[in-house]
Amino acid sequence: MAEQDDQAQALQAHRAYLLRYAQFQLRDAALAEDAVQDTLIAALAQPGRFEGRSQLRTWLTGILKHKIVDLGRSRSRGASAHAAGEGEDGDSALGAFNAQGKWVEAPADWGMPDAALESSQFWRVYQECCQRLSERDALVFSTREVMGLSSEEICKKFGISTTNLHVILFRARLSLRSCMSENWFKTNHE
Amino acid sequence: MYSCEQAARLSSKAMEQPLAPKERILLGMHLMMCKGCTGFAQQIEFLRRASRKIPEVLEKDAD
Repeated sequence: MAEQDDQAQALQAHRAYLLRYAQFQLRDAALAEDAVQDTLIAALAQPGRFEGRSQLRTWLTGILKHKIVDLGRSRSRGASAHAAGEGEDGDSALGAFNAQGKWVEAPADWGMPDAALESSQFWRVYQECCQRLSERDALVFSTREVMGLSSEEICKKFGISTTNLHVILFRARLSLRSCMSENWFKTNHE
Repeated sequence: MYSCEQAARLSSKAMEQPLAPKERILLGMHLMMCKGCTGFAQQIEFLRRASRKIPEVLEKDAD
């Protein structure tokens, strides 16, 4: 019993991080809470997996990723049922190109963008730009780029074709790029 | 010749899987002459680097 308490306490130490992680991907406090809850329950069901602190976090995050995808996928499926035709699988390039396939507004020079990664203001803008994506595009993008699942895994989990995945990622990258350009790189900040 | 839209789509696809030789050559030719598309390709690579850092950023905020 005491051992179980220790384990529960060890898990608790990672709760704040897991919650932020889930909330970032799911954009919904209650759903994030569910994902973390499911993760901690799954972890407690496998005693003997509690090692060093950093390993524990990595292991928990690995479980959480799958919970996020499962919960997020079923929610966005419900949401897109009535938003169907919004080009869910359509090949829209968001009006970024004209009929001849030329940029309506050519991407501006970002200079040396990596310096921005040190700025907390940059991350706020990044999160805001992610929130402009549709729920499903955001989740697919994040599953690929933030959580780092392979293209193959994502297609299987979301039940989409490779072509489909490429369309979604292209649309998300276009939108995020233009939003970051507008709200960060073209703006002056210290 | 690829249009900017085709080039941009392929730059994005190239982040997911190796392109066919013909695609690679045509994309390379387009990028050589097009500053906008070269910028786009670099910027979506940058966004990938940024996205991969998110867990680190969240960690800093949570602990």
